[in-house]
Amino acid sequence: MELAVVFSGVGGQGVVVLSDIFCEAALLDGFDVAKAEIHGMAQRGASIVAHARIGEKIESPLIERGKADIVLGFEVLETARALPMLKKDGAVVVNTKYIPPNITLNAQPLTQEQLLNMIKTKAGAVHEVDGFGIATKLGNVLVVNTVLLGALSALPENPVKPESYKQAIAARLKEKYIDLNLKAFQLGQESVTLG
Amino acid sequence: MRSKIATDNPNSYLLLNGDEAAARGAVEAGVKVAASYPGTPATEILEALAEASKTFGIHVEWSINEIVAMEVAAGASMAGVRSIVSMKHVGLNVAADAAMTLAYTGVAGGMVIAVCDDPALHSSQNEQDTRYFALHSNLPLLDAANPQEALDMTREAFKISETLQLPVIVRLTTRVAHSKARVKISSINQNLRKAEFDKDAARWVMVPSNAIKRHRVLKSKLQEAAKIANTSKFNVVEDNGKQIGIIGSGVGYYYARSILDTKKFSWLKLGFVHPFPTELVRQFASKVKEIIILEELRPFIESNIQFLHRPFLGKDLLGLDEVGEFNPDVVREAFAKLGLCEKAEKLEALALPPRPPVLCPGCPHRAFYYALNTVRQFVNCDPEKCSGCDICEYICSFEKEKTFNPIKSRIRAVRLDPLSNMAVTCRTCKDAPCVAACPEDALEQSVENGTITVDEDKCNGCGWCITACQYGALTIHPETKKAMVCDTCEGDPKCVQWCPERALSFGGETEDKIVTGDIGCYTLGFMPPVNTLQTCLCMGAGISQAAGMFHAGVKDKIFAVIGDSTFFHAGMPGLLNIAYNKANVCVIILDNHVVAMTGHQPTPGSGRNLLGEQTKEIRLEDIAKSLGIEKVEVVDPYDVKATTKILREILDYPGPSVIIARRPCPLSIEKGPAREVLEECDACGLCVEAFGCPAISIPSKRAEIDPTLCYGCGVCETICPAKAIRSTG
Ligand code: SF4
Repeated sequence: MELAVVFSGVGGQGVVVLSDIFCEAALLDGFDVAKAEIHGMAQRGASIVAHARIGEKIESPLIERGKADIVLGFEVLETARALPMLKKDGAVVVNTKYIPPNITLNAQPLTQEQLLNMIKTKAGAVHEVDGFGIATKLGNVLVVNTVLLGALSALPENPVKPESYKQAIAARLKEKYIDLNLKAFQLGQESVTLG
Repeated sequence: MRSKIATDNPNSYLLLNGDEAAARGAVEAGVKVAASYPGTPATEILEALAEASKTFGIHVEWSINEIVAMEVAAGASMAGVRSIVSMKHVGLNVAADAAMTLAYTGVAGGMVIAVCDDPALHSSQNEQDTRYFALHSNLPLLDAANPQEALDMTREAFKISETLQLPVIVRLTTRVAHSKARVKISSINQNLRKAEFDKDAARWVMVPSNAIKRHRVLKSKLQEAAKIANTSKFNVVEDNGKQIGIIGSGVGYYYARSILDTKKFSWLKLGFVHPFPTELVRQFASKVKEIIILEELRPFIESNIQFLHRPFLGKDLLGLDEVGEFNPDVVREAFAKLGLCEKAEKLEALALPPRPPVLCPGCPHRAFYYALNTVRQFVNCDPEKCSGCDICEYICSFEKEKTFNPIKSRIRAVRLDPLSNMAVTCRTCKDAPCVAACPEDALEQSVENGTITVDEDKCNGCGWCITACQYGALTIHPETKKAMVCDTCEGDPKCVQWCPERALSFGGETEDKIVTGDIGCYTLGFMPPVNTLQTCLCMGAGISQAAGMFHAGVKDKIFAVIGDSTFFHAGMPGLLNIAYNKANVCVIILDNHVVAMTGHQPTPGSGRNLLGEQTKEIRLEDIAKSLGIEKVEVVDPYDVKATTKILREILDYPGPSVIIARRPCPLSIEKGPAREVLEECDACGLCVEAFGCPAISIPSKRAEIDPTLCYGCGVCETICPAKAIRSTG
């Protein structure tokens, strides 16, 4: 058994933290894990990608193009950018938020709809998650990540136990944020299982 | 601080990146002193040690720069305890002077130099290969290819260092330093060495007579080191009795193992690479028919196995580049070409707009650059594009006089020759001659932006200003008989917006100033739409490059931009030098109180140390003055107007000067209330195209601010010509 997940988003959205928690959870389940991040010199606002591989024995963290089982996108444009990493019929979890890149006057930006269509034609299964909406309902936009993690945990191809995620989340957070995040995790799970 | 690496649970697993793993290795080895200067991707080594420092009584410090860190670690080791110094590859150049001779004196307590190379320059200015520094300095080097190796090698390096009495380099690359993996930890060495300095002058005083002896000692130590390398557990042979043997070091080796059927090859993983384990490689080579060598960056192993006098498949024949880093895709391609694995499927890339690194929303550097970019702006015309249609004149007269009458315009389209036209208007000259020529003192030039205003009560219409202006920018109003001149519509000239040929622009002369840059977040100021910086070489270079340009005789005013931390690191000698050698350079210190790019480490200016403890706060203005700079100004970059005013003043200042632009990095403090765009917005684009805050976009007829991205700095509000932005708080 081996699972390769690509996390893709914009610097500042929490790509690194989320992929960390994913690996911590897998570690709790006894998997070997390796992950790597790809980001440039900016602190915020540029593309950022994390690769994570879990399995019995993992020798290197980077995933080959076309070999990722899952792409977890924090935003639609960055999700589309990660599509070449996805294997045929691979699954995509996409946060439907769109952060347009800083465009100059001449460039015609793509619309959110165009990007979502692009994702749908390339991927096997696409799970759209309104992370921002769910998080707003919970009263804290910062839990978007946990919603996405919940969604990731609910995919059938993901062998890591939901309990391990919860344990990994709790280990990362201050006491007072744990309940809120567990709720967000659950809503994320439901957004996939309930369709 | 919760320390991950302080766990005392031998044989358990932790999820660690290469930096944290190296730090854990140092803790297991009983390190006593750790020094570093922040630099991606090596920063987290010291940060992880800092978190564990209280538990294990380790002295940790952000030194001022890498050579100071190297010397601090060397001193600790000379005094008998174990020490580690960590830095990125280019930091080793700064520390090289100490390292080269430290190889002669050697050390007493184990000393590890942990260096992170950055193949593919994820966050660096070059791709140097530290294995060659080991060769150059005669120091042993262990090359870690994953976090587990980073831990094991660091721990072992202390022992090797004590055996050889030499500092040992542990080399990581970005892919090791910033990859996380399951790492097995071991027990922690509790038997700390005593701090005692053996005052053996022949050993520590490197005057020629002593040093030449020590050079011989070094050479014999290297022979001993080669023996250790040949039997090192970090050089791993997997002899599968196959025809093809793969020799590799670094991450590429493991990419190959992930891609190939490992049973079909024999393998030699090199970890102890300098001195080169010649014997081991000879034995391995004798058992295989063909040799493939896999290593990132320069062909170090290749050049070391020439002694075999055997053909091998190296970079050239594999089609692998010395430039950039490996990834599984290029490694697969190389092996597929040899028919050793399947080819990857062709995947078409999607055409998507890039999202390059930018200065963050709310970044004070952007605000400062905006002031610097606009310090002398006027409406400029490109004669190649100007059709002489006169529309600018109509627009101007309508804007200013509510009538379409070119005679009342502040801009004039003129025919240069039968083929070209040009619109002329005020160029906001330095020491404007029109102002000097006016006998009635009716003209005044703004110190902030250089525009000229006419006091209509004083102006008597004599027209002397018209003769004084070599551009023909002034005219007399046909009815009031007073002088008229462009006021740039308060920074949003309407003629520029309406010019059908896009011949007009509001930018002014870029040739009248040179801006050298340095290493830090602010280097991103070279990118559009900011486009301020023109150089970036190495830490501290900008100031002295600017001095060189001045002495070369360039006409332009020269600014040298440097961050506060970089200034403390390498800018002070350059500043002293411009004062001493009288270079007319304005040094701009962007002071955000932290080393922002590497993740907000404190600087000597922040008044606290690595552990967050209170310490002496070093004031930049005091340093600048004491280094001989007489003109030192402090500005708040969020106050664009005041900043521009100082900049204009400096434009005319004839000697070396310093402007300290002081504002904390917004990522290190609480966000302010987000800004929103009002109906008054006419989508002029200034906030996006000239200022370039990434929180603002113009999706349709009006600008929009994304409230989740906005930091609430409020600078856009102050520069918006239509006053169409306000705070939501
Ligand atoms: S206040 Fe304006 S300039 Fe500052 S971050 Fe927000 S949108 Fe950008």
